[in-house]
Amino acid sequence: MIALGVVVIFGALGAVASLAPARYRVATSAACLAVAIVAGATASIAVLATGRAVDGHVVSVLPFSGATVELSALGALFSLTSAVVALAATIHWLGYQRHALRSRSAVAAYALFVTCLLLVPAAGDDVTFLVLWELMALASLALVAHDHARRDEARHAAWWYGAMTQGGAGAITLGLVALAAHAKSPSFAAIAASAGHLPASARGAIFLALFAGFGAKAGLVPFHVWLPRAHAEAPAPASALLSGAMVGLGIYGILLARTLLGVGSPWWWLVAGLVGVASALYGSLYAATSTDVKRLLAYSTSDNMGLVVIGLAASGLFATDHHRAAASLALLASLFLVTSHALYKSTLFLGAGSVQYATGERNLDRLGGLARTMPVTTVLVLVGGLAAAALPPLNGFAAEWLVVQSLVHGLTGAGPVTTVATTVFVGALALTGGLTIVAVVKALGIGFFGRARSDAAATATEVPLPMRIGPALIALACVAIGVVPELAVAAVRRAAATMQPNRSGLAASVTGLHLGALRGAVDPLALALGAVLATAALAVLRHSAGPRRAPRRRTFEPWGSGRAVLSARMQYTATSFAEPLQRVFDDVLAPQHDLDVSHAVESRYYVERVAYASADDDVVERRLYRPVLRLATWWGERARGLANGSVHRYLAYGFVTLVVVLVVVS
Amino acid sequence: MSGFANALASAAVVVTVAAVVALWRRRLRSILLALVVQGVGLGAVATLLAVHERDAGLVVVAALVLGVKAVLIPALLARVASASPDARESDPLVNVPASLVIAGLLTLVAFVAARPIVAIVGGPSGRLVPLGLATVLIGFFMMVARRRALSQIVGLLLVDNGVALTAFLVTSGVPVIVELGSSLDILFGVVVLRVLFARLSAIGVRDLDQLASLHD
Amino acid sequence: MNATRLVAGALQLALVVLGGPLLLGLMRRVRSRLEGRDGPRITQPWRDLVKLATKQRVRPTESSWIFGLAPLVVVATAGAVAVLAPLATLAPPLANSTDFVAVIFTLLVGSVVLALAALDTGTAFGGMGASRALTIGALVEPALLVAVLALSLPLHSTNLVAIVADGARHAPVLVGPSHLLALGSFVVVILAESGRLPVDNPSTHLELTMIFEALILEYSGPDLALVTLGESMRLVIWLGLFANLAAPWGVAASGAGGFALGAAVLVAKVAVLGVAVTVFEVTTAKLRLFRLPELLAGGFILAVFGVVTGAVMR
Repeated sequence: MIALGVVVIFGALGAVASLAPARYRVATSAACLAVAIVAGATASIAVLATGRAVDGHVVSVLPFSGATVELSALGALFSLTSAVVALAATIHWLGYQRHALRSRSAVAAYALFVTCLLLVPAAGDDVTFLVLWELMALASLALVAHDHARRDEARHAAWWYGAMTQGGAGAITLGLVALAAHAKSPSFAAIAASAGHLPASARGAIFLALFAGFGAKAGLVPFHVWLPRAHAEAPAPASALLSGAMVGLGIYGILLARTLLGVGSPWWWLVAGLVGVASALYGSLYAATSTDVKRLLAYSTSDNMGLVVIGLAASGLFATDHHRAAASLALLASLFLVTSHALYKSTLFLGAGSVQYATGERNLDRLGGLARTMPVTTVLVLVGGLAAAALPPLNGFAAEWLVVQSLVHGLTGAGPVTTVATTVFVGALALTGGLTIVAVVKALGIGFFGRARSDAAATATEVPLPMRIGPALIALACVAIGVVPELAVAAVRRAAATMQPNRSGLAASVTGLHLGALRGAVDPLALALGAVLATAALAVLRHSAGPRRAPRRRTFEPWGSGRAVLSARMQYTATSFAEPLQRVFDDVLAPQHDLDVSHAVESRYYVERVAYASADDDVVERRLYRPVLRLATWWGERARGLANGSVHRYLAYGFVTLVVVLVVVS
Repeated sequence: MSGFANALASAAVVVTVAAVVALWRRRLRSILLALVVQGVGLGAVATLLAVHERDAGLVVVAALVLGVKAVLIPALLARVASASPDARESDPLVNVPASLVIAGLLTLVAFVAARPIVAIVGGPSGRLVPLGLATVLIGFFMMVARRRALSQIVGLLLVDNGVALTAFLVTSGVPVIVELGSSLDILFGVVVLRVLFARLSAIGVRDLDQLASLHD
Repeated sequence: MNATRLVAGALQLALVVLGGPLLLGLMRRVRSRLEGRDGPRITQPWRDLVKLATKQRVRPTESSWIFGLAPLVVVATAGAVAVLAPLATLAPPLANSTDFVAVIFTLLVGSVVLALAALDTGTAFGGMGASRALTIGALVEPALLVAVLALSLPLHSTNLVAIVADGARHAPVLVGPSHLLALGSFVVVILAESGRLPVDNPSTHLELTMIFEALILEYSGPDLALVTLGESMRLVIWLGLFANLAAPWGVAASGAGGFALGAAVLVAKVAVLGVAVTVFEVTTAKLRLFRLPELLAGGFILAVFGVVTGAVMR
């Protein structure tokens, strides 16, 4: 309780620090936030260590109801994740401020955002939750719109984000208020106790409303359209918070819905699973074909949240099948995936921010060669990227392995519907994994290795120390958790144990990647040690190989099919790298590109000039949202005719209304 | 799991996988080969049931199935195909990878949809009903998604074979007279279609979509 | 983990390292014979490797550390799997944690790092190879994991040692349709993962058709030797795993005599499979890159059927 008070006070101080003179503003604010973050983390760790929730009621903070605080182990897990991400992002911010994010409003918004991220999971009733949720949305909106004066894209991103997040908040408010009205109390504990008495159809409707609202926050298809815009336009530390922490709170919301409403019926989870599969495939496909590095990462966030929701859906389905062991394992796996994703995705976003800081570029086709000019950042992004690609021995692999295991074990004695769903889940998971690898290799290989594709990339220099320390902290966590998964599993186990089927479930017997009661285990530590030792031994062996007299190593121009000089423009670009995939998934992506070949006058066989233009816009946006928007605009145009400024006309409206009302009433 | 159950399942799987192969391959001759394999699989199912039920009538049915579905009908169609030996399903309405993924989803749908039948029939043969249903669905899909007239005949035959497989599995064998009737029906149908097809190719029509231009 | 298990793992590693290039030699020899040529000796790939080891390492200008690291990682990951997987013995070190999914992802690390190194060369070839290899890799993945799901059905576990041991004990599982379909899907996966025809032609040097060869075009000397060795080890591992899933007999449970027998059986199985793959390669043409999804989708469908029939038969 005291720690949470410290979070509030120092968070507020961090916001107040925006009044400080420009030179000290960010530093002061960051220092205050650091205290808040450490306090939040301490509270969360205490809850996770003891398994006892912190709760309390503060009268007179909010009008009418006061504020109820309840930090359960589940909330603590999310709060702790936010704290770790926020710490890294704030350290990175100390350096990044020279590039952007140092104005008064930005500093205040940043401080408010961090504070809300820490506190949302601690809300114990409807009112507190919604107030914090809205504050979080507002603060993040301000951060997304940070660059609005200079960039049109930022303004559009803010519009989309604002519209989607408010729509989502509306759905959430409806759902929570309906529950509170039934329970006659806004407190979550009371709601959870009474929701069982609601009719099944009402519970289903409320679940759908909450799932849609929280799903919009988590960037699930088809509510994801704001995500690639907002995450790409926000300044790097803010993108890391958005993608690492806030998106995860969308998942927390879905879990909250499950806590409040119970496991419900299978169709809830079939809907959720379908949305998860769609998000995973769609996100990974767009990640694999994007050329803007931050857009790529944002789509990959959408894909990872899809995988998390697949895990949650599997857990729900197994629970309705009364397969408790698999249900709790699936829940554990998805929680592990959320936390892992928070770590590696914020590493990647901070790394992308560092690249933007050093080169001013986000377009992969204008980067390259950074491995030589920015070695530390490259290694950090490499770790984050390989973790995102779910490769051992990093935390992404542990997470994906747990999800696969939960699906494998869930197939035991499952009914036909669950069997079908599980098979689809595994297929989607696998394809997503493969596409994510393509996206990651593209981002790393085109962006960081090879030759520099622009002057800015060629002359880049390594970023200041704080911008290396911040991401290094979480990259280290990725490695540590990957090699010794028990570090995170211990916390996740506690969090999973707070949810319904797990109270007596089998998740408790999972230690590290040993499934305990279920059969299956991996020993990433031994695997990693073995592979690293083998690599070292081979390096020694190779060092002694080579000719006796001549020098053993030299560098030379690579093979250019006989050309003497190779230019950086002859390399594969991000677009060409993804071209085969784009062709395979032509029907899904429906890419808009335009190839214009002008032939020489003398002969058709000589090409004068080739112009290629492609627009990688989002197909859901084009096919689903644009028509709706056009319709809305059309109605708006019509409506404008109604209000043309004439006072007589307005009076006539009032008069007609009055008459109609009288007629209807009589 | 007994040997009978295993063998029956394998034969039924052959029937379904043959349907997928027909959807998968582009060369018309490969598609016809898949049809032959499917006929053999169906014959194997009938034979296995005949042995298991010790029913002499089923042996006749099995012979009939093999003769008509694995030999006679493919031979008839092969003569059509031999008119253009390298004929291919060059430009299907739904491309091949997508067709295959859809076939997979249809199988999953069949698995869910066959639940009530499986529950009623039960036993080693009843459990395999989803495969029969899947064959029917895949055949139907093939008729929808392929342009070539010959492919569409094959789709129809897949549906018929799927129905036959389902019937075998549900009733543990079909009376001779019923199978005789249905086999002759389908044989007759193929003969008519073959004649029609020959007429069509005489006026240069290969894809049924081209017929749409006749109405004006 | 005790000493015998470690020794068994080390022996298995030695077997894979020695056998990999020999398998390549065998396959080339068989191919030559089938094409009416005499062909090089089976030991020729080893001679090539030894010769390459005495050559200079040439690195493209403007490449970075990952170019040198990749060959090491390829061999190290393949080596780690060779120690842990149940190839010649059912008692490798850490038998409880020999997970199928972990094996797949460990091998994947090598492919990913190699693709990064190819992009690091800064040439069109490297990018082309990396792009194509990873596209195929992404499309293979669903078939692979769903096949693993089908294979895990009888035991509800993806532990490889357990699956192989269970197969040897319960022969009916092996001829069950679910298992056979999963193996069928596995064939497609292996052809794609190890870059054999009709997916990739390992002996081509034509720019437009190269996949793996384009990926490693800039490697020379000891680096090229390592990459070639690593690739041949991966081929042995894939074929060995397939052999032990299809016919899990003769894999040693314990003892020195048992291991010797297991090693001999493994060599025989892998040689037979290698010859089979070569015969298949001689009789097929390479598919166009954009026809590959058809093949891979076919593999995926077989795996889905495997799961469905497995679930139906339960």
